[in-house]
Amino acid sequence: MKTVIIGAGQAGRRTAELLRGLDATREILLIGDEEELPYDRPPLSKEILLGEVHPKGLMQRGVEVYNAERIALRLGARVAGVDLGTARVEMNTGERIAYDSLVIATGGRARMLPLPGAADPRVRTLRTIADARALQAILRPALRLVIVGAGLIGLEVAAAATALGCAVTVLEVSGRVMARCAPAEIGALIASWHQGAGVTMHMNCRLEAIAPDKECLRLSTSMGEMNADLVLVAIGAIPNTELAEEAGLATDDGILVDECGRTSEEQVYAAGEVARIRQPTGHHVRFETWQVAQYQPSAVAHAICGADKRYLELPWHWTNQYGRNVQMLGAQGEDLEWLTREEGERLTSLGVDAYGRVRGAVLIDNGRDATPVRRIIGAEQVIDRDALLDPKRPIRQLC
Amino acid sequence: MAWYDVAREDSFEEDVPKVVQVGEDRVAVFRLEDGFYAISDICTHEYALLSDGFCEDGKVECPLHQACFDIRTGKALDEPAEIDVDVFPTRVADGVVQVDIG
Repeated sequence: MKTVIIGAGQAGRRTAELLRGLDATREILLIGDEEELPYDRPPLSKEILLGEVHPKGLMQRGVEVYNAERIALRLGARVAGVDLGTARVEMNTGERIAYDSLVIATGGRARMLPLPGAADPRVRTLRTIADARALQAILRPALRLVIVGAGLIGLEVAAAATALGCAVTVLEVSGRVMARCAPAEIGALIASWHQGAGVTMHMNCRLEAIAPDKECLRLSTSMGEMNADLVLVAIGAIPNTELAEEAGLATDDGILVDECGRTSEEQVYAAGEVARIRQPTGHHVRFETWQVAQYQPSAVAHAICGADKRYLELPWHWTNQYGRNVQMLGAQGEDLEWLTREEGERLTSLGVDAYGRVRGAVLIDNGRDATPVRRIIGAEQVIDRDALLDPKRPIRQLC
Repeated sequence: MAWYDVAREDSFEEDVPKVVQVGEDRVAVFRLEDGFYAISDICTHEYALLSDGFCEDGKVECPLHQACFDIRTGKALDEPAEIDVDVFPTRVADGVVQVDIG
């Protein structure tokens, strides 16, 4: 039996390792288009920019680990296509590789602004370790850095660049920071950290044109003109579904899979960020998180071995900015009422629905509440409001 | 052997660790139902203080990524942590909990 995994990022690595753990004998081939050994991406927008060469959070194993696990690696290799009929992967060299099961773990790529001038080398995105190292080499005191997009990546880069002495401006087309992933009050708190550190924050501001000049980039925005030495475009990611689409798999902004990672084709699976995963409610959701790349491959590896292990984790992600750790669990919508418990600098904010059930939470420097909060959300119990708001009552006692 | 005082035995609550710092070593000391246990306070995955983590049933979770460690043995119980944390001997002398940070 042979499993071929396309995509050697975190999800590809995890699928390979977990599959090896379940099946000692099958052949496993991991194909990646980067030259780098597989790595996790969280440090790219933080530690790498601050000059750490090999932060532990990369989880980058040496080639000897893959050898010991008998996971064959093809790095710097491009897949041209997948032929589902003959169960073969075709490399861009023309080589054809047969599989018994196939995992597509192609992740995503950074979205670019459709503007003339965006092709200038001083307009960057951040997705790979090569992007991060290139950015790290440029960031220096007084560099005028304009970041387009106040999501997680944009804000983490803003925090790192500020620490390095850059003059940072953040442009956000919506009215607030982290609009997709955190409630408004938390967004406002995080924005205040940036303002306190000297970052210029422009909300409701659209970048309309980039005119590359010899000395700098001249930017036209809906709030006026500004000059930049460097522009980082951090406006989200696009899932790499092209191979799956061309092969004929069902896709819809992601490869459609069930809770176990199975695509519309037998013996073909999708892992990590590229997967749009069926939920118990019946609709499909795609997650752009470390969590999905870390844990959903367990479902895929089990499915390949014929076992059902559904991926049903409560959505969870985090950001680190200015030495603060922010974790977001479950729903983060504006339809919830947010009740906040503060203990000094630590904070836990709970999103409560109209029936009084906790649906989501934000923890600031308060990771010890993560597991109790997960249990409270999972229990779907109505919890007394005064108890939720009383920081003297440990959250673990509320469930 | 170098025994350091942590705190009085009766000042410990179960599942709420106390921390001692000796040079570069930062050690978290826990009271469990069968005695006192000491482990390195730093998660082996990324920098985080285990004493800030959730503690239950003899296990402590890293507050950043919820990797779990066995407080009695230091064993890393799940991903993303893969390396065990150091453990240190403890004793109680005249009602004071002490840890050996050698």
